[in-house]
Amino acid sequence: MLIPIERLIDGCVQTLREEVLPEVASRAVRGRVWAVLDVLNNLRDRVEEKVAAATTEADSARAALARLAAALRANADTNGAAAIESALACAPDEPPSARAASLRAALADAIAARPQGLAETEREALRAHLAGQVLRDVMLLKPSLLSEISKG
Amino acid sequence: MPRRAVYTAHGMTPQELEANLASFLTQRLGAPVRVRGLERNTEGFSQETFSFDAELGAETRRYVAKREPVAGLLEPYDLEPEFRVLHGLAGADVLSPPTPWFTDDPRVLERPFYVMERLPGDVPLPTPGADGGGPFTPGERESLAPQIADALARLHAVDWRKRGFDFLGVPGAGRDAAARELARWEARIASAGFAPPPLLADALVWLRRNLPDAPEITLVHGDFRLGNWLVKQRGDSATLLGVLDWEMVHLGDPLEDLAWCSCELWRGGTPFAGAMIAPEAFAAAYASASGRSVDPIRMEFYRVLAVVKMITIMLTGIRAFNEGRTSDLRMAIFDHQLPFLFALLALARGWLSGG
Repeated sequence: MLIPIERLIDGCVQTLREEVLPEVASRAVRGRVWAVLDVLNNLRDRVEEKVAAATTEADSARAALARLAAALRANADTNGAAAIESALACAPDEPPSARAASLRAALADAIAARPQGLAETEREALRAHLAGQVLRDVMLLKPSLLSEISKG
Repeated sequence: MPRRAVYTAHGMTPQELEANLASFLTQRLGAPVRVRGLERNTEGFSQETFSFDAELGAETRRYVAKREPVAGLLEPYDLEPEFRVLHGLAGADVLSPPTPWFTDDPRVLERPFYVMERLPGDVPLPTPGADGGGPFTPGERESLAPQIADALARLHAVDWRKRGFDFLGVPGAGRDAAARELARWEARIASAGFAPPPLLADALVWLRRNLPDAPEITLVHGDFRLGNWLVKQRGDSATLLGVLDWEMVHLGDPLEDLAWCSCELWRGGTPFAGAMIAPEAFAAAYASASGRSVDPIRMEFYRVLAVVKMITIMLTGIRAFNEGRTSDLRMAIFDHQLPFLFALLALARGWLSGG
């Protein structure tokens, strides 16, 4: 997630206070909206992102980077392999979200550092992680309300 | 509490907006105008769109005002090029809304805006319907597809030199059109301030290595797709009445529009280009209407670029929300739309297949 949970809750609070409440005429419904605001205000500083997803991503990315380093060494790219091994060594252990972000950046850097494109063995080293991570991320999502959001 | 946040983000109430619009239109039309029924539209996620009626004596005219947002998806905003194109397209057979006026005077609506005539029709959305299908019936799909292909061909046939659209920037020969577009979106990625994730980094490497030649330069709408078409739906048939949202207009390779329109982003839960017909059939209809061949290599480049563009747009909105420059929660929903986009990118680049 690119938006911190606190910022998401702040956005919900601001929307309800400034955009929804002024349009609500019913006193009973306004009371419910204020109750939601009260819950959100008190939730804000007591929640954090679940660690399981970040841990899974970090473990998968670490394995993919190790495979990529091996593939690069097999292709005589020792500097590239060393850069990845250094990134693996530098990735923070905690929190899992920081570890996942660090390894995600290392993967992106390794790809971007090869403007000629990845060799097939290098691509295969990353495939299981990139494909798996995309599917894991999609599986977490709830059905989109985009149609309702657009139509109002 | 004042009723204003959805409307203005800053100071003006809807009543003040109506009064200022009335004064603006009175000056432009040379007759007293009353503005009625000002309403913020919900469809546009980028620019702010207001519909309203202007009363001139006994006559009522229907208009739409499009205003630069404080922050949003396509920063930095500059409404004037879009206005100049729409204004310059007057009389062209491209179904663009007649667009008579623009001002950057902040005293009127706080930010630059232009006024266009409100065309009839509705805007079907690229989201799955309740039955899981798209927004069109089979009869509507069959009748609409050739109209859309024809409209795109006519748009690409506009004589942009004659209409003075050189100000949009004329790409050079060969790969320059593709290179300019890629550079435009890479700059936006950099502005969004997020390090490209691995799949985006991979797509950018591939795009840089596969810039195609453009055999000709045409006007490119930039956002020609389901969701920006005004359509009259009748159940057994449908009629295209207008083409909206020209804010990404530029000069470039016409196949950029065809690939954008055909890509998975705008299929409304169907396997069809624009939720109408198979992508190959749509490409054939465009080829027939335009007299151009549809080069699969160029189409593949612009298909990947289409997903990169959409990811970039979302990253830009997320940045604006994160920085508190907008409180529009619709920007925040992109944080959980992005995984779908990365899945499309993974598909397009072959990461989800065996080779």
